Amino acid sequence: MEKTIAYRVISFGWLPGILCLAAHTAIADQQVPPGPFTETECITCHTERDPDLIRQWREGPHSIASDVECGSCHGDRHKDSVPRARKDQSCSGCHDGPVSHSYTTSKHGVINRLEEGRQDWQQPLQRGHYRAPGCSYCHLHDGDHGDTMAPDRGPEMRQWICSGCHSPRYVREQFANGKRQLAIADLKLAEGEALMSSAVEGLPGVLPKLQQNLIQHRENVLLGVGHQSPDYQWWHGQPALDGDLIRIRDAISEFQ
Amino acid sequence: MRYRLILLILPLFALLAVSAGFAYVHWSKGGTGTGLYSRYWSPDPVQGYWDPDNFYQSVKSVEGVFKAALCIQCHEGITPGIVADWRASRHGQSDNPVYCNDCHGSDHQHLRLPTPEVCGNCHQKQHGEFKDEARYGFPSHVLAMERAVDAKHFVDKPKGEVQSCVQCHSVATKCDSCHTRHRFDAAEARRPEACITCHSGPPHPDDETYFASAHGKLYLAEGNDWDWSKPLTKGNYKAPTCAYCHMDGGRHQVAHKSLWKFGLREVNPHTSKNQVLRKNWIKLCGDCHEQEKARQWLTELDQERKRAWQKLYAAEDILKDLRSDNLLQPAAGERPPYPMDWMDRLWPRERIGFFEGQASAFYNVSAIERDYFEMWYFDNLGAYKSAAHGNQAGVESGHRKMAASLDRIETKASELYHLSDTEQRAEITPEASHEIWMKGAYTDYNRKHN
Repeated sequence: MEKTIAYRVISFGWLPGILCLAAHTAIADQQVPPGPFTETECITCHTERDPDLIRQWREGPHSIASDVECGSCHGDRHKDSVPRARKDQSCSGCHDGPVSHSYTTSKHGVINRLEEGRQDWQQPLQRGHYRAPGCSYCHLHDGDHGDTMAPDRGPEMRQWICSGCHSPRYVREQFANGKRQLAIADLKLAEGEALMSSAVEGLPGVLPKLQQNLIQHRENVLLGVGHQSPDYQWWHGQPALDGDLIRIRDAISEFQ
Repeated sequence: MRYRLILLILPLFALLAVSAGFAYVHWSKGGTGTGLYSRYWSPDPVQGYWDPDNFYQSVKSVEGVFKAALCIQCHEGITPGIVADWRASRHGQSDNPVYCNDCHGSDHQHLRLPTPEVCGNCHQKQHGEFKDEARYGFPSHVLAMERAVDAKHFVDKPKGEVQSCVQCHSVATKCDSCHTRHRFDAAEARRPEACITCHSGPPHPDDETYFASAHGKLYLAEGNDWDWSKPLTKGNYKAPTCAYCHMDGGRHQVAHKSLWKFGLREVNPHTSKNQVLRKNWIKLCGDCHEQEKARQWLTELDQERKRAWQKLYAAEDILKDLRSDNLLQPAAGERPPYPMDWMDRLWPRERIGFFEGQASAFYNVSAIERDYFEMWYFDNLGAYKSAAHGNQAGVESGHRKMAASLDRIETKASELYHLSDTEQRAEITPEASHEIWMKGAYTDYNRKHN
C-alpha cells in the first residue's frame, strides 16, 4: 500500500505528541525550590518555560523599562505566587488615586472585594471563573502579560473579555456610549484650551492650574468609562469640566 | 343675576383650567423621551439598559422560543459568567429553581430586562415597600429615575453625556443596583459596599464619611467575619451598616426616617411629622445605645444643620443682591439658555437656591454662582453626611470649606460692587464680554445635540 502523507501523520503523529507531553511533564514535575528568587532568575527560568509570556511582558507596559519586577506582583517565593498576583491588592499599591478609586467604587470593584473570601483564586483568568473582574481579569486576561485592555489590542479583545458575562450587544452599546462620553469630554477640553490659547498674553497665573484641572477631569471621564464608575464619569468628570470652563472664562473676562 | 352668572362661570372656568393643565401634562409626557420634558429629548441607545420598561428593545438577531435548559446550554458558551452566577444563586439552588425564562420570557425576539415589577411577582413584600417610598417624596430610590429625567440639565445636555446620571438613578427601575445580577444575593446588599457605587463622590460622600466613623471603622476591621446571612435586626450585627440603619429589619424603603432630606434644603426639625420620623431613629439607635444619647445626637445634628444653613443663606443673600443689582456676569440673558425653557427667554433670571433650581445651576452660570453651587452641593452635603454618620473630622472640614467658599463669594461680590462703582463714577459703559460665554466646541455641540 502506498504510504500517503495522511497515512504517515495518522500512524506516527502520536510520536511527537508523546515526546512533547513527556518533556512538559518532566518540567512541571521538576521540583521548584521555594525561593526567594531574583528578577534575573525568574526571567531566565520562565524564558525557557513560558516564552510567550515573557515576550508579552517585554512588549507590555511593565517591561524592563518600568520599575516593576516579577516579584512586585508575584512576590519572591514560588508558593501562591500566581493567585497572589491575581488579586487587586497587587496592583493598587502602585496604581492608587483616581485609577484605583474609580475601580474600587464601581460595581465590579465592589463585588470583587466582597467575593474575595469565597473566590477561588487558583482559577485561570478566563471567562466564567470569576464572579466579577478584578484588575488582572481584564488587564491580564488569560494570563496575558501585556495589557489586554490597551487600545492597541483592539476592540475585539475588550469585546471578548467583557462578553464573558455581558451580552455581546450590551458590551457593544456600553463601549459606544463610552466613546460618546469621552468625545464630549474632549469637546470640553478643546473648548477650554481654545479659550486659553485665545487669551491675551500675560494672563494671571491661574491658567496653568485650570489647565491641569481640565486634563485631570477629562482623564476622570476616561477612568469612569473604562472602570464603569458613574461617579467618575459624572461628579469627578463632566460637571467638573463644566466648572473648569466657567473658571477659565471668568479668569479671561476678569483680565479683560 | 350677574352674581349668579359669575358663580356659574367661575367653577366652569376653574374646571376648564384644571382639565387643560392635566391635558398639557399628559401631552408633554407623550414624546420620544420620558417625563415632563419627554417631547424635548430622545434616549441614547444605551438608556434601554438603565430604564428597560421605557426603552429596552429585545435583540432581533436570535429567533425562537426557548425553554430553560436550552437557554443555559447556549449561554454557558456565550456568557458563562452569568450562568455560573445563576447556578450559585438561590434562584438556581432552590428545589424549585427560578429559570431564565421566568424573568426574561422565552421568545428571544421579545425578551425583557426584569423591572422591579417582574421581581415583585414573587418578592411582593419588598416590592410593596419599595413602591411605598414614593409617598415620602424626593430624595428617594423609587422616584430617582423620574427626578433624573425631569432635571433641566438632563434634558439640556447631550444624551450620551447624561447616561452617567441614569446609571445610578436606575435604582428606581431595576433591582440589580443593590442585588447584582445574576446572584441577587441579599447578603451582598446588606454590606455597605453595595451602596457606594452611587453613594460616593462630592455631593454624597456616604462611603468616606461612614468608613471614617466609629461604626465604619469597626466594620472595616471585622466585617469580613460577620454572618451576613442574618436579617438586619437587633443583636445580629456588632456595628450598624448602611442597610442596618436605613433599611432596618430589611424594609425596602429608606425614607421613613428621612429627617433632613439629604441636607439639600432646610428642614424644620420641630414639625410633628419630623418628630414622628425622629422617634424611628431614636428607637433604632436604641438597639445598641441609650435612647437619651440618640436624642442628644439628633439635637447635635439639628445644630450642625442650623450652622450650615446660616452660612448657605448668607451666600444666597449675597447672590440675590448681586442679581437685583444686575451684577452677575454673564447675566442670565447672556448665557446659552435651556432649549425648552421659553420662560427663560421671556424673563431671563439666574437660579439661586434650592427652590429656583439650584441643582441645574452648575454650568453656563457665572463663576460666583458656580462657587455657591459647590458650597451648597459639595461642602454642605459633605458636612451633613459627616455629621449624620458620626465623623466629626468631616463635619469640621465641611464647615471650614463652607466658610472658605462664603469668604470667596463675599470677596468676589465686593470686587464686583467696587468695579461697578468705579465704572459709574467714570461713566464707563462696561464692555460686553459675554461673547466668550456663548461659544465653544462643547457649547456649540450642546446647542445642536441636546
